Amino acid sequence: MNTFRIAQEGVRALSANKLRTFFMMAGTIVGIAALTVIMAVGEGTEKKVMKRITSFGTHAIVITAGGGKGFSPPQAGITTLRLEDAEAIRSQIQGIAVVAPFAVKRGLPIKAGSAQIQTMVMAVGAEWHEASDWYPQQGDPITAEDNATMSRVCVLGATTAKDLFGDEDPIGQYIQIGDVRFNVKGVLQSRGVSPMGDDFDSRIIIPLTTGLRRLYNQDYITNIRVKVQDTRQLVLISEEIRRLLHERHHITPPEEDDFAIFSAAEVAKTARGISGTLTILLSALAGLSLVVGGIVLMNILLISVGERTKEIGLRRAVGARRRDIFMQFLMESLAVTLIGMVLGSALGWAASVILARVTQFPVVISLEPFALALAFALVVGVFFGVQPARRAARLHPVEALK
Amino acid sequence: MIELEDIEKMYQVGGVALPVLKGISFRVESGEYLAIMGASGTGKSTLMNILGCLDKPTGGHYRLEGTDVVNLDDDALSHLRNHRIGFVFQMFHLLERATALRNVMLPLIYCEHYPEDAHKRAEKALAAVGLADRMLYKPSQLSGGQQQRVAIARALITDPAIILADEPTGNLDSRSGAEVMAIFERLHRDGRTIILVTHDRAVAEHANRIIILKDGQIAEDRPVPNPRDAEAELRVLAEKEGQP
Repeated sequence: MNTFRIAQEGVRALSANKLRTFFMMAGTIVGIAALTVIMAVGEGTEKKVMKRITSFGTHAIVITAGGGKGFSPPQAGITTLRLEDAEAIRSQIQGIAVVAPFAVKRGLPIKAGSAQIQTMVMAVGAEWHEASDWYPQQGDPITAEDNATMSRVCVLGATTAKDLFGDEDPIGQYIQIGDVRFNVKGVLQSRGVSPMGDDFDSRIIIPLTTGLRRLYNQDYITNIRVKVQDTRQLVLISEEIRRLLHERHHITPPEEDDFAIFSAAEVAKTARGISGTLTILLSALAGLSLVVGGIVLMNILLISVGERTKEIGLRRAVGARRRDIFMQFLMESLAVTLIGMVLGSALGWAASVILARVTQFPVVISLEPFALALAFALVVGVFFGVQPARRAARLHPVEALK
Repeated sequence: MIELEDIEKMYQVGGVALPVLKGISFRVESGEYLAIMGASGTGKSTLMNILGCLDKPTGGHYRLEGTDVVNLDDDALSHLRNHRIGFVFQMFHLLERATALRNVMLPLIYCEHYPEDAHKRAEKALAAVGLADRMLYKPSQLSGGQQQRVAIARALITDPAIILADEPTGNLDSRSGAEVMAIFERLHRDGRTIILVTHDRAVAEHANRIIILKDGQIAEDRPVPNPRDAEAELRVLAEKEGQP
């Protein structure tokens, strides 16, 4: 009927006393802002996790020589991870598609003509391409024959190719790694930058046998990359590999492992990092602000009902029904939480943007937090507005006019 | 148009029944100008609340334009107040933060159909009480007499059957009081029914009929042969001010 005009009466009371209105609104603003940040960080984190898992490989398990908790480069001087370990995994564990042992070395000087750079050198078997779904975009891959003949050939990452040869065609050219000359037989597909900021395309791959015997002069490897057939078996197979390596390396827990195993699960865990803790803290803040803010809102409204008794009496005298008075105060409460929601969302949005700029937190702004904020604002407004509105509506006009 | 039959009102005070009105009966015809008088504590305010449908009697019958008010629920009473009764209070009871115009429009918000011409009607009502040039003033910017005239315009906005005025000059100086009484006089000439509640004989004698309450009962109900003329009083006051 005239709900709109009665709502207007409620809103007018707000603009009349701005400080009072601000206090009524403060809790909602903080609560909704916190809620918005939670959602932004939560969504950003999930996106980051998905990206990391995708770039790591959804079917991949990577075994790294050396202990340690993070997915970090292999520790120097750990010589216990061997080709025989890879062979054992391949032959003894079910459900595996490919096993690709490799050895990484950093800091070797690389030269081509006048160009001189440093980058990661990976010595890989032929199966590495399949294990990591990564093939040359130009030229040929590292083959089993390359490994069998310990040939001095290499495949370059896209960035490395550019660094060494500029716009020239690198295929068939020679580069020097340490003291050894290699013939460039291919250039890998470009994979861009990793979520951690590393350039995937800055690398050189060479045959594993050539690397171990001609270049590194070592008989141990640094990593084994395993590709499973079914992602649902990732955890199971990880555990089987762990048991097998314990046995082969004569390790009995709680003795520390001399290797680390990573799969999508561990990657997700490290990618989530402290954003889980932040989410819990902010959730507590949001919940607390909304409840405390609601109680403050209710009390100020109750006081306001007391102060405006005469006004209520007059409105009743000129024809307002109980439900009109009820509506007026409920609408006042709802207007507070809805305006608070708009301000809170804006504040939360701004805070998320700043958070994304000054910290490493991944932040995604979407419409969902606003829908949720609207729902919360409505619930708080109604829940804490009903009691004052009822008290106002129950005032007897004669008593109120006195 | 108004018919009171043996109206009683009892209050329960600390478990003891306290009768305030003890069988009041009278009729008011359409177009009458009636004053209800009595010292404080005689039940005058209680009677006024019952007449204004703000309160219900505990006994008797009250028929307003044929409707027995005693049997109506709260919503129906609100509707009656909105449509049939215009209140004028001693304390004006204006919304402090609203303009004169918005104050006058207030009762229209509670009509079931908000009239299209609400604005125009309020402007007309304000012009009728001589405040055409004060429409956008807030109560604090108006004198007491002007505030009471805004309240009268508000009482008239829904075109009610009765104007109920409770000590309308109680808070005004004699000049403003006379102005307000002159407006009532004009409304009476236009055919409105006016009921004035006051303890002041000089105010009451502007009406055509006086009912005097005493101890919850009617002590006297008599016509006023020569009602006082507010317009004339106003002229006298103006002359006095003109030559000090």
